[in-house]
Amino acid sequence: MHATIQKPLKEIINALSKDEKVFVVGCGNCAEKCRSGGEEQAREMKARLEKEGVRVVGYAATASGSSLCKLAAAKKLLLEEHKEEVAKADSFLILACGQGIHTVIDATGGAVVHPGCDTIFGGETVSDDFITEYCSLCGECIVEATGGLCPVTICSKGLLNGPCGGAKEGKCEVDKEQDCGWQLIYDRLKELGKLDLFRQYQSPKNYAKRSNPRSLKLEEKRATFKSLAGLRTIGQDR
Amino acid sequence: MSVLKDRLTKSEFVITSEIGPPKGINIEPHLKEAEELKDRVSAINVTDNQSSVMRFGSLATCHLLAKRGIEPVFQVVTRDRNRIALQSDLLSAWGLGVENVLCLTGDHPSLGDHPESKPVYDLDSVQLLQAADSLNQGKDLVGNELDGKPDFFLGAVVTPAADPLEPQIIKMEKKVKAGARFFQTQAVYDAGQFARFMKEVAYLKVPVLAGIVLLKSAGMAKFMNENVAGVNVPQDLIDEMKSVSKEDRPKKSIEIAGRLIKELKPLCQGVHIMPLGWDKYVPQVLDAAGL
Ligand code: SF4
Ligand code: SF4
Repeated sequence: MHATIQKPLKEIINALSKDEKVFVVGCGNCAEKCRSGGEEQAREMKARLEKEGVRVVGYAATASGSSLCKLAAAKKLLLEEHKEEVAKADSFLILACGQGIHTVIDATGGAVVHPGCDTIFGGETVSDDFITEYCSLCGECIVEATGGLCPVTICSKGLLNGPCGGAKEGKCEVDKEQDCGWQLIYDRLKELGKLDLFRQYQSPKNYAKRSNPRSLKLEEKRATFKSLAGLRTIGQDR
Repeated sequence: MSVLKDRLTKSEFVITSEIGPPKGINIEPHLKEAEELKDRVSAINVTDNQSSVMRFGSLATCHLLAKRGIEPVFQVVTRDRNRIALQSDLLSAWGLGVENVLCLTGDHPSLGDHPESKPVYDLDSVQLLQAADSLNQGKDLVGNELDGKPDFFLGAVVTPAADPLEPQIIKMEKKVKAGARFFQTQAVYDAGQFARFMKEVAYLKVPVLAGIVLLKSAGMAKFMNENVAGVNVPQDLIDEMKSVSKEDRPKKSIEIAGRLIKELKPLCQGVHIMPLGWDKYVPQVLDAAGL
């Protein structure tokens, strides 16, 4: 899940030029679940903008459960289902994550886009009303050594070799309400009887695998990850 | 050779203190502070953008101390520099007369005066020690040969009153394996608790300098108990501070610190005094401790 939160209306309006005709685009998957950009929020956004005098030529969102960041879906939505309103638009206000914003550029062959949301993290949907992050998409998963809990993400400093001196009563130095990630990792390794993993030195991370932009190429039974660390192909016929 | 290293190697009881560079360029008063302590201590730590507040640099301050014949301990945090900058600064430090390095993670930027800055933490403190140790062996972190190598005396920090203690000790062990040859601790107030800690880490056979922070008032003690990780001022010390008038607080504080050092002396290899502005009382503390 790519978590998003809507930008303040004022910021959205400030980015639009006078008389700009806008089409609002939402996403039926992550953005809908985050209540930042499903069909309902796209409709509401249209009404809120119109109330402020913005010219909105239409709105649309991919169907519930379907992602805007799939190019084929975005094309179908904008170039087929909403072809006529889209033709009148000067620009698109995207209520989705940054991937969705770019998908609209691709789908429209380079249209002007405005971000309507801030993309905040990739997270686990713990419940319908709580999403939190357990992975920072680092490209080199090391949680084998930490009982499945990610130190890069749940420790505020992303420390790999154990806690800093800042934890107090199991809470992190940055926020008294937030669990110290290393306290959680220590507790879990202890429970699993695997504290020896904590004793092992973890070498610095390979940030070349976290370079950007990265890509994944998929062929039948093969997948190739491209980053500044090079190409890595995994597949049955490798 | 590093006097700190020499004295610790000879198992002498060692005293270190520290200064924090200013926010601005007026470094002179801080160098004077260090000069006043010079004859009573083996080395003086210089904090590195302490509490994530942007200040005059630790490396430059260390160099200025070294030029005046005061042995510095260069504190290096991993918060602000990536592995290239950290290694480069370490090589530069050697060139500027710095022989002792204390490797730390550093407080999170959100606690300081530039909370919107990008936290780096490309390395953690253990990895920084490993990098510095490898520079000592003539190689950089990725194994490239150096043209001339330093010979740093490497140190690290530990929190003896951490709860739970085990993760601290595991990390301390990793620091020793990575190259730490001495430890300075978070402020200690409870000799009994510290004795238990020293027993637990005896197997590491590494010199430990107990951290001493002068109590300025009962309020400060309470504040630290509530807000500073791994600091535990026992109630009787708080009561003792409370029992004296405002004018008598420094005297009481000196008495408490002196007594504490006497209690800690048989347990460890030295003390690291963090005066936090009360530099002028450090000589009296040492007198009270019989050092
Ligand atoms: S180690 Fe990297 S890939 Fe694994 S959970 Fe953490 S951020 Fe994600
Ligand atoms: S207190 Fe814990 S979670 Fe916070 S930075 Fe330190 S080790 Fe990481």
